[in-house]
Amino acid sequence: MAFNTLFKKDIVVDSGKLTAKQRRFAYTSLTPILLYMGVFTLFPIVWAVVMSFYSYSPIREGSGFLGLGGANPFVQIDNYIELFTGTSKPAEVFRLALKNTFMFTALVLPLNLLITLPLAVILESIGERFKTLFRAIYFLPTISSSVALVIIWSYMYAPGWGLLSIMFKAVGLVPPKSWLQDPSLVYFGVPLAMICVVVAHVWQDFGYNLVIFVAALQSIPKTLREAARVDGANAWQEFWLVVVPLLRRTVLLTSVLTVISSLQVFVIFQLLTRGGPKNQTQTLLLSIYENAFRFANNLGLSSAMSMVLFIIILTLTVIQFRLLRTEWEY
Amino acid sequence: MTDKPKRPSLAFVLGKSGAYAILIVGLIGTLLPFFYIIVSSLKTPAELRQTPPDFFSKTPSLDNYTTILKDKDIPIAQNLFNSIFVSISRVVITLFTSSYAGYIFAKYHFKGKNLAFGIILIQIMIPFQVVMIPNYLLVVKLGLIDSLWALIIPAFIDAYGIFMMKQFIEALPAELMDAARIDGASEFGIYSRIVLPQMGPPLASLGIFTFMATWNDYLWPLIVLTSPENRTIPLLVVWFQTAHVSNQGLVLAASILTLLPIFIVYIFLQRWIVDQATSSAFK
Repeated sequence: MAFNTLFKKDIVVDSGKLTAKQRRFAYTSLTPILLYMGVFTLFPIVWAVVMSFYSYSPIREGSGFLGLGGANPFVQIDNYIELFTGTSKPAEVFRLALKNTFMFTALVLPLNLLITLPLAVILESIGERFKTLFRAIYFLPTISSSVALVIIWSYMYAPGWGLLSIMFKAVGLVPPKSWLQDPSLVYFGVPLAMICVVVAHVWQDFGYNLVIFVAALQSIPKTLREAARVDGANAWQEFWLVVVPLLRRTVLLTSVLTVISSLQVFVIFQLLTRGGPKNQTQTLLLSIYENAFRFANNLGLSSAMSMVLFIIILTLTVIQFRLLRTEWEY
Repeated sequence: MTDKPKRPSLAFVLGKSGAYAILIVGLIGTLLPFFYIIVSSLKTPAELRQTPPDFFSKTPSLDNYTTILKDKDIPIAQNLFNSIFVSISRVVITLFTSSYAGYIFAKYHFKGKNLAFGIILIQIMIPFQVVMIPNYLLVVKLGLIDSLWALIIPAFIDAYGIFMMKQFIEALPAELMDAARIDGASEFGIYSRIVLPQMGPPLASLGIFTFMATWNDYLWPLIVLTSPENRTIPLLVVWFQTAHVSNQGLVLAASILTLLPIFIVYIFLQRWIVDQATSSAFK
């Protein structure tokens, strides 16, 4: 998103002072919008923060405002202590989920860049007509319904008769008996089910970074490349010494955005693996959802989980804003 | 290669055919999963259960599609209507609130404007899952649970839409508005008759992205909708997957029906959608 422009000073030249009538119009128009934001954005944020310090269940009739108090007591930071040191099932699953979420992100980012960067460079170098066609097709999964894509991948990973098993057999490899359900299949510390989810997610998501990289490559002025050429650089040097440094900021920003979105992947975990096998693909958002809406546990604890996720994402967002604020000129 | 300005890229190193070979491998990788379920959706239940399966059906038919569309136990028509109703409502509302608020932030200067804009931008910075639980409780309190309004009312304001419209309207010349003012137009009249007619392209792109996001939305509808007749299409597909395990062909057909409307829009507008997605990322 175009965050960097947020920080520019208002440079619009105003056509004279606002009359009282115009000011009144602006205020009366914005008042309902801001009231609405108060109810549907600000209030829920405060509510979530406050709730994370309570033991809260909507079934219990609390005493205070929003049912917080009485049967839903204030527990200070007990929810957070429980999450990080407790021995209850939700707390143990949470810690596993935190680890899995980081593992997923740590696998998605390099795999994504490994595919999108070279592909973008190749794509940028071919003729305009084919470029548009390839770009359009690579982008297709990103605009498709995640639910339908999960159905597609459950077909790819179906044991025995799934397309991947067929392809493995076709090239003489022995496919695993079960792609998504055997907890004993772990490669280099990564469960097979997690690898499968990573692959399906990167397939669904790579088009987005790809088109951004293609656009970034196209925006590098031709004169810079020609100058390097005149100075005697060969194609390889030109790529590493001119193109790569100029792409650095885009790659950095895209990486932060990819990490932020990877931390929030839900559909594929909930539907393809359901967090399994043996919680090997249990992630933060999935455990927040399951605790709050499936098991209807303590919503205070779920809120504390969402605060942990929020703090992680907020930190990354601050980094992203910092990056966007740095001025770059070609 | 000819002696045109050579391009320093992998393509140059690999040669043109190498570049196309890689691109085509990527293309197959992208399209094969789609293609596989499309051909699989034409199979009979027996063919779907067969191991090892044939890639193509020997007797392809649209039976799976006609079954889900005709089966009286499946409220697919109602679910389709729900998805269309929610998507179109959200598009119309978002386009109005975004352009209207964007107009005020772009063209009026008043005390507290930066604060007000900052409040709106908070929405962009707060991930959905942070407010997911309180929003659910709020929707329960408002009596909107298991109602399509639960998908529409909390989505009246789209901070990103306001931001995008503000950017666009700032570039419109102030003289136009002043001239209308001298001619006696009201402030709202300036918005509706001067500003709005010039905003075709940004409104269209905001509308398309809002439509796609709403059509594909899953987590929030999953939380707030419970009755079969209130489901949206993605919820129907998921229900199918769990309830109709014995007939996978129906699940496949339902998935393809979910993808279809977006694909049709995409075929006509792909170039524009991709460009918009790119330019909204940075710049």
